Amino acid sequence: MKVSLFEQVPYRYLPAGFEDQYSSAVTPPYHIVDPARVQESLYSAYAELMHGARAGFDGIVTTEHSQSSYDMSPNPTLLAYAVAAAAQAEGLDIAVTILGRSLGKTREPLKIAEEYALLDCVTGGRLIAGFPVGLSYDANLNAALPAIETRERAREHRELILKAWSAREPFPWNGRFEKYGQVNIWPRPIQQPHPPVWIPGTGSPGTMRDILRNDFGFVYLSWDGPKLVGREVFDRYWNLAEEMGRDRNPYRLAFVQVAAVAETDERAEKEYAEHLMALYHGGLGAIPGTAMAVPGYAEPAAIEAMVRAGGPAGMLGRMKTATFKDIVDTQVAIVGSPATVADQIEAFVREYRVGNLLIMLQNGSMPRDLTEKNISLFAEQVLPRLRPIWDDEGWVNHWWPKAQGTARAVAGSAAAAPAGTPREEGRA
Amino acid sequence: MKANAVRDEAVDVWDGRLRLHVKVAGDGPPLVFFHPLAGLAWDPFLDQLAARHTVYAPQHPGTSPGDPRAIDQVQTFWELLLCYEELLRALGLDRPAAVGQSYGGMVAADLAANFPRLFSRLVLLSPAGLWRDDAPIPLMEMVAGPPEDLPKYLFAHPESAAAQAAQAPPADPALIPAAIAQQAWNIGCTTKFAWPIADHGLGRRLHRVAVPTLVAWGRQDALIPVAYAADFGRSIAGSQVEVIDDCGHVLQADQPEALWTVVGKFLAG
Repeated sequence: MKVSLFEQVPYRYLPAGFEDQYSSAVTPPYHIVDPARVQESLYSAYAELMHGARAGFDGIVTTEHSQSSYDMSPNPTLLAYAVAAAAQAEGLDIAVTILGRSLGKTREPLKIAEEYALLDCVTGGRLIAGFPVGLSYDANLNAALPAIETRERAREHRELILKAWSAREPFPWNGRFEKYGQVNIWPRPIQQPHPPVWIPGTGSPGTMRDILRNDFGFVYLSWDGPKLVGREVFDRYWNLAEEMGRDRNPYRLAFVQVAAVAETDERAEKEYAEHLMALYHGGLGAIPGTAMAVPGYAEPAAIEAMVRAGGPAGMLGRMKTATFKDIVDTQVAIVGSPATVADQIEAFVREYRVGNLLIMLQNGSMPRDLTEKNISLFAEQVLPRLRPIWDDEGWVNHWWPKAQGTARAVAGSAAAAPAGTPREEGRA
Repeated sequence: MKANAVRDEAVDVWDGRLRLHVKVAGDGPPLVFFHPLAGLAWDPFLDQLAARHTVYAPQHPGTSPGDPRAIDQVQTFWELLLCYEELLRALGLDRPAAVGQSYGGMVAADLAANFPRLFSRLVLLSPAGLWRDDAPIPLMEMVAGPPEDLPKYLFAHPESAAAQAAQAPPADPALIPAAIAQQAWNIGCTTKFAWPIADHGLGRRLHRVAVPTLVAWGRQDALIPVAYAADFGRSIAGSQVEVIDDCGHVLQADQPEALWTVVGKFLAG
């Protein structure tokens, strides 16, 4: 399987009690930050992703949120470009996943087409294009677009971007939301007709059907807790795949998992618990529920089902008051010794047929030295157990980039590259 | 006041693509009521109107239970106005009076500006539709904020019986989830044309309103500040502006008698 390192870019120094006073999205007050610590938080994300690339991860992943204290990454292609270019200079052969620019939020879909295409070009065809609809607060409050049109906008934008990437001649676009006379972007992706497309979703059947119909990859996130919702969501996915005549290729499914590794289980809890809870309490837990579903974002039937169930599925609605035990019991985060973490991940990966794993190793207030330890331990002692998991079934990972040549070749003379052999396996 | 029997009428408009549901009650000269953001709720104020008029209260596209995707047939605010204009013709209404409240006030005012001979009289109850930087309208804060904050935007006296009745969930607890979902969707449908700022340029065409107009506002309105009352008054020639004291955004909840005094008199005149 493929394992990528995924980082959001939180401000790591939120004051104690932040979540009691403020929301972490839309309205978190900027005057509470120390600009030098913003710089450090931003640089650490870059440095840690590079650390992961050097440590042997198959790829790096970035994503987008605006007006947020838990992810200061309003344009994920910027961070991804920096890491991609530096990794290339070092001859590190990594895939780059943007998970991604939000299609329901953007007012300039062709900018996304251009930026993604540029990244695919500079990496020699190593881009995975994430196409999320976007969170309600981001699309409907930050970007202030009518909630009821979010999905329709995202659909049109995806169609436009895919066409812009592969159309040979300039074309006009008379859409409901966008109108252009001559679409003709430069550059276009090396991977034709388009890089692998991954769509993050919360598990609704409609989204899954759309993904399977188009042969895209489905990405699910561990925020809800795999122990609570994994069975339902993944069974639904594979049952729909069968119903729609798709094979059981595990690479159709990507999963985002938070993990923290130390020498022993006890030490892991001691070192990481406080920093992880800063994410759950002060980050995800501090997004008001009403901002996650601005009226019109979800259909009446979905809202009614959620009200009947007493809130959102899994842990997401309970993050603010969750205990560390809640988090690890439900596997929102997998925390422990290398053996504990590898055992738990391997078990659910096999059970749910996950082929592409996106691991989050920096979370909340976790400082850079501890994060880099986490990355190193994961790469040295967990990753080797995960990588061969699907080899015996012989599937081809059609949802992984079809790179042209090695990173070193793309980098030209590679004079600056340090000693070491770039990994080249698995570039199907 | 005795409650009127309210019946439902379905009318196909927009080349057959959109079925609009209209609540109809009362007897007398026709009056059209355009409901606010959260959808149509038949309240004692509508009963008062129905005691003298045949009241036609259309439900905004998408807000009729069982037909949520009807909203997809209406792409822009301009199309919404055209659909309503088609509706009034299909109902055979000859220059009805119009009453529009809040979001519905914006709809009624813009219909009157677009079609100067559509109505005979116009009543605007704390209407949306204008914007001034010195009096921002906290629509986004209200719609995306915690539900428990809602009353503070809407009522000067949230604890009054009328305000409580306006906020009351269904008596049968089993119906509450569907009611919450319906209200959220209703707001999703109306905010399609009012987000994040309900300003479609109405201020540039209000001068076209050519019928007797009453503008009524609550002095303590915490959603659309009373400062806008004078703007409507100035823009619509010959209009009458009534500001009601000790009154919030939902006038008929906070000051039902004072409201009926000015509205009843205006409509009778």
